[in-house]
Order: sequence, then C-alpha cells, then structure tokens
Amino acid sequence: MGGLKYQLKSVLRDKFCLMTFLLPILVAAALNFMGSIDMSSLGELHFGVLENGLPPQTVTWLERYGPVTAYGTQEELTAAIMEPSTNVIGVRADGDGLKTAIAGDELDIFQQAAATLPALYERRAEAERAEVLTLERPDILESFQDIFIPAVLIVAMFMGCTFNAMNIISEKEDGVALVNEILPMTPGQYILQKVVVGFLFGSLSALVTACICFRLSWQNAGMMLALIVLSSFVAALIGLFIGRFSEGLMIGVVYIKIVMLVFIAVPIVCALIGVSGPPALLCNLVPSQPAFEGMMALSAGDMGTAARDTGILAVHCAAWFALYGLLTARRRGCRRPG
Amino acid sequence: MGNGFLALVKKDCRMLASGKFFLMAMGFLVLYTAYVNLGYLRFMRMPPYNVYLYDPAGTQTEKSSLVWSVSSVEEMDAALLSDANGVGLDASAGEVRVVLYKGAEHVDRHRADYALSLLEPAASRTPEVLGTNTPEQKARKEITCELLFFELAAVGFLGIAAVLFKEKGMGVIRVHAVLPLRKELFLLSKLAVFLLSDLVFAVLLTLLNVGLADGAAVLPAVLLQTAVLSLLMALVGLLCALLLKDFRQFTLAYLVIAIFAATPVFLSANTSVKFDWIGWHPFYHIYMGLKNAYFGTAISPVYYAGAVAAIVLLFLMVQLAFHREMGKEG
Repeated sequence: MGGLKYQLKSVLRDKFCLMTFLLPILVAAALNFMGSIDMSSLGELHFGVLENGLPPQTVTWLERYGPVTAYGTQEELTAAIMEPSTNVIGVRADGDGLKTAIAGDELDIFQQAAATLPALYERRAEAERAEVLTLERPDILESFQDIFIPAVLIVAMFMGCTFNAMNIISEKEDGVALVNEILPMTPGQYILQKVVVGFLFGSLSALVTACICFRLSWQNAGMMLALIVLSSFVAALIGLFIGRFSEGLMIGVVYIKIVMLVFIAVPIVCALIGVSGPPALLCNLVPSQPAFEGMMALSAGDMGTAARDTGILAVHCAAWFALYGLLTARRRGCRRPG
Repeated sequence: MGNGFLALVKKDCRMLASGKFFLMAMGFLVLYTAYVNLGYLRFMRMPPYNVYLYDPAGTQTEKSSLVWSVSSVEEMDAALLSDANGVGLDASAGEVRVVLYKGAEHVDRHRADYALSLLEPAASRTPEVLGTNTPEQKARKEITCELLFFELAAVGFLGIAAVLFKEKGMGVIRVHAVLPLRKELFLLSKLAVFLLSDLVFAVLLTLLNVGLADGAAVLPAVLLQTAVLSLLMALVGLLCALLLKDFRQFTLAYLVIAIFAATPVFLSANTSVKFDWIGWHPFYHIYMGLKNAYFGTAISPVYYAGAVAAIVLLFLMVQLAFHREMGKEG
C-alpha cells in the first residue's frame, strides 16, 4: 500500500500527467457545448450576387434557400465562387430567368443545386402552393456526437496507457527500474502497483467524461461502468507493454501515438463503413473496438450487444494480463542463472 | 568553416537517423497516403438528395429519372428513415404532398422545392464553370494540404524537440561553447537538416496524393510555403527546447499547439464556419499560405514580409536563448 501512496504522490506533482487526464474532460465539455452551436450552416446553400445585379424580389426569393452576399465587383464575386472552403453559387439575371456560376470543384449536391436553380426560379409560384409535411428528427449534430463521444471516452481511457508508459520509461531513464529489480517485491505486486495508478486515473477521467456526455438509466449506467473499468484496465496494461518495449522517451511517444491512432481509427472506420463478417471479428482484436461498439449500443439502448462487448473486453483483460505476467516471469527466469 | 558546417550537418543527420526520425516520417507518409487514397476520398462524396415518389395512380408521367418510385407509403417511410436527407413525394391523394425530416430551415425549403421540380423537369441549364479543378482534385489538394501542415506543425515539431532535448541532456550545447566554430553554425545546421527533410517529405506527399501532373504544377509554390512553415516550426521547436526544462513540459506545449491552435484554423479555413477573430491567429495565415499555394491563388506580399520578419525575430531569440544555455555552468 505504501508504494501506491508514493505513486499517487508523484502523479499529483506532475503537471503533464494531470493535464493528460484533464484534457478529455475539457474536450467532452466543449462537445457538449458544441451541441448548441448551429453546425447546420455547413450543408446550407450560399449565394453570391453582384450589387444591384438582381431585382430585390429575386434576392428575397434566393434568401428562402440560404444567405445571399452582394459583391461590389465581378472580380470579388469570382474570387468568392472560386474560394475552395465555401460553396458559393454565383447568380445573375439572364433575361427573365437566372444563370448560375460555380467553381466546378463543389460536391455533387451543390453542383446539382446550381444546375436546377433556374428551373426552380421559373416555377416559383407553383412551389409555394405545395403542401409540405415536416417530420421531427433528432438533433442533426447527434449523428456526429454519437461517434465523437465514444471517441473522447476512448481517449480518456487511453490516458491511463500514456501515463503508465511514460512512468515506466522515465523510471528506466532515471535508473529506478534497475533498483526495482532488487527490491523485495514479487512481479505480481510490481505489475499491480504500476497498473493501478494509470487505471484509476484513466477510469476516473472517463467516468467524469461519461457523466458530462450521457444521461443514462441506472441499469445502463452499470453496464457503462463495467465497459469503462474493463477498457481502462486494458489500456493501462497496454501502457505497461509500451513502457517495457521502448528504449527512450522519444520512441515511447512514437509507440503511444501509433497505438492511439489504431485505437481510435479502427472503431471509427468500422462504425463509418459498417464492417461485418470475419473482418468485424478481426477488429475485435483491438480492445477499443468492443468498448466503442458497446458504448454505441448502450446509447442506442441495445443491452444484448453491450453485454457481449463487455464479455469480449473481459477476455482482453485476462489475455493481456496473462501475457505480461508470462513475459515478466520468463525474463526473471532468464536472469536468475546469470 | 565549410568543413565544420558539413561535419555538424553530418552529425545531425546521424542523430536523427538513430532517433528513428526518418523512419517515423516515412511511416507517417505511408499512413497519410493510405488514408487519402483508401479512406478520405470515399467519405467525401455527397450525392444530391434522393427523391422517393409514391404514386399508385401513375399521375406523374413526366417525372425525371432521378426520382425513385416506391410501391407503398410504408416503403417510403422506411426509405426516409434510413436516408434522412431524402425527400418523399406522396401523390396518392391527387395533390402532391412533400414529406421530409426536419433539418435546417433554408435547406428544407430547398429540398422540398427541388423534389417538386423533378416531377416536371425543365431543360436543366448547365451552370457556368469558372474553375479548373474537379471535386476529386479539390478533395485531394485540400487533404494533402491539411496533412502536410499537420505533419510539419505538429509531428515535425516533436521530432526537433526530441533531438534537441537529447543533445541538451548530453551537454552537447555547452561543449559547443569551447569548440573553435562560429556559434550560429550549430543552429544553422539543425535548421538546414530539418528544412531539407521537410522539403523531401512535402515533395513525396504532394506527388503521391495530389497526382503527378497536378502535383508537379503546384510544387514550386508549395515548396516555398513549406520552407516558410518548416523554418518557423523548427525555430519555435528550438526555442521551446532551449527554454523548457524537460521533454515532458515540452509535450504539454506540444499538446496545446496541436489541439488548441490547429483546430480553429482547420475549421475556419476548410468549412463555411468562420470565426471573427481568426485573422489574429498566426497559424491561420501560414495555413492559408500553404492552401493558396495548392490552389494556385495569389499570396499577398504582406504575408511574405511578415513571415520573413517572424523568422528573423525567432532566429534572434533562439540565438539569445542558445548563448544563455551555453553560458550556464554544469
């Protein structure tokens, strides 16, 4: 227990560690706040016209579909249309009708809108008579948040891994690792002490993040807790592996980045493309995949999938722990005769 | 002096190679190329809205080929549920009724009117096309620009600092105080090595992802911007490495730069979300310089003047910090 106290003390003194644990919480709070920002303007049509180039009623009609910006000169208008970050459609009068101008590199949806705008203008009187039934749909950003929030949670859990890896590497560099070898401590105790700190902080940070992002029923909250605890444990264990295999801080950082990339990329790509069959089973070899899938299932209320994913995570925990124990035992075995 | 400089450059290269810096850069190059060619281009497609028509009596005879016919109201509901941006047209009661899921107000109006217009298609007038890029070319240029910026500003920065912290830890900087070499050579050789490796990286990334013909056309402008960005980042990295105590503190600075500095810039420069204050963000101008180079837009001379001034200023600051570090006693 005494060892653990020292570990905790060293964490609290380290600004870097505290920051890494706080970061996901900050991002989660920002995401929560982002929910109230209107991101729907991203898919909106933007029109550019020349000042006094269109009759006022035509401009009013255009404003039904999206904001209209008036430009003083043709050059300014052309520059706005060509600007790659926006999808401005240039509009000018053409006899009784309209003529549109685009840069040609827009997404299909905007090109189609520009091509059909003159036709919409011609039949504007009929369109206003039609009956439109609008169905309520959940928040538009929700589809983004569905993916973002579990991703932030995974990062939060991953902080345990970063912490453990950094901790072991710096001990190695300072020579403490060698001192540890001769301490009267069994490998099991050593692993436990090393895992516990990263694990505790990783799950704490993930828990706070989850509390900010999700509103769950008690039953679902229990399942979420299980998912968080198990995946933080796996992440903390992986941190031990990284610490063990990296020779210096720099290489450790590279390993951490690669593992983190795989951890985040695999589940997100799986969720976006919708992998199924044998590749999906293979993806479960990356521990973040069942964690991510389980959280997505929980937010959709699918307890069956969440329970299965918790099972897969438990298997991961046991397997990684056994592997690390085995490696440590073998190394000790090798050293003893020498 | 030339010999001394060459020896320093050689030593820096050897150190980068032993720190797996080149290996890491190659790894990221492969990763980025795979991401652009296998993933990004597929995500960046946004087809026009699908329109579903339920017309049991067959009253709509002129409908466009873009309209999908469905055989029941249930089928239309299911189609809309899975494709929430789609629009349903219900012609079963005589008058056509539009059914759609609520989105942004303006977009909804356009979706409804667009769907109705497909029932009586007029000869569509092709819009005037002002640019030369296709959507795929634009997507390739945009993502390559983002990746290059991220790699130089974040990943390259980390590499520089890692190398310098190693040298600082080993006391190499203090040894230089007694070497019969001009003191600036130490800094210049570092800058030269990083600049060269960044330029090679930019060439490979651009040619592999933008395409050979398109890439070669924009390469001179891109290399100029890469040089500006690389020098600035290398100098900031040097400054951080000289001023901060250890690598951990540096990782903090790095996290702040990577997340808080880069996100608003990417958002403002690539989407129609624009922040009022973004003009004050130095990274925004650097990023826009790189982006303008990729898209062949003219870059204002004020930007170049600012960049040169920033590089000179940073170099002087680094030199000051370097002399201070050399003066410290072990």
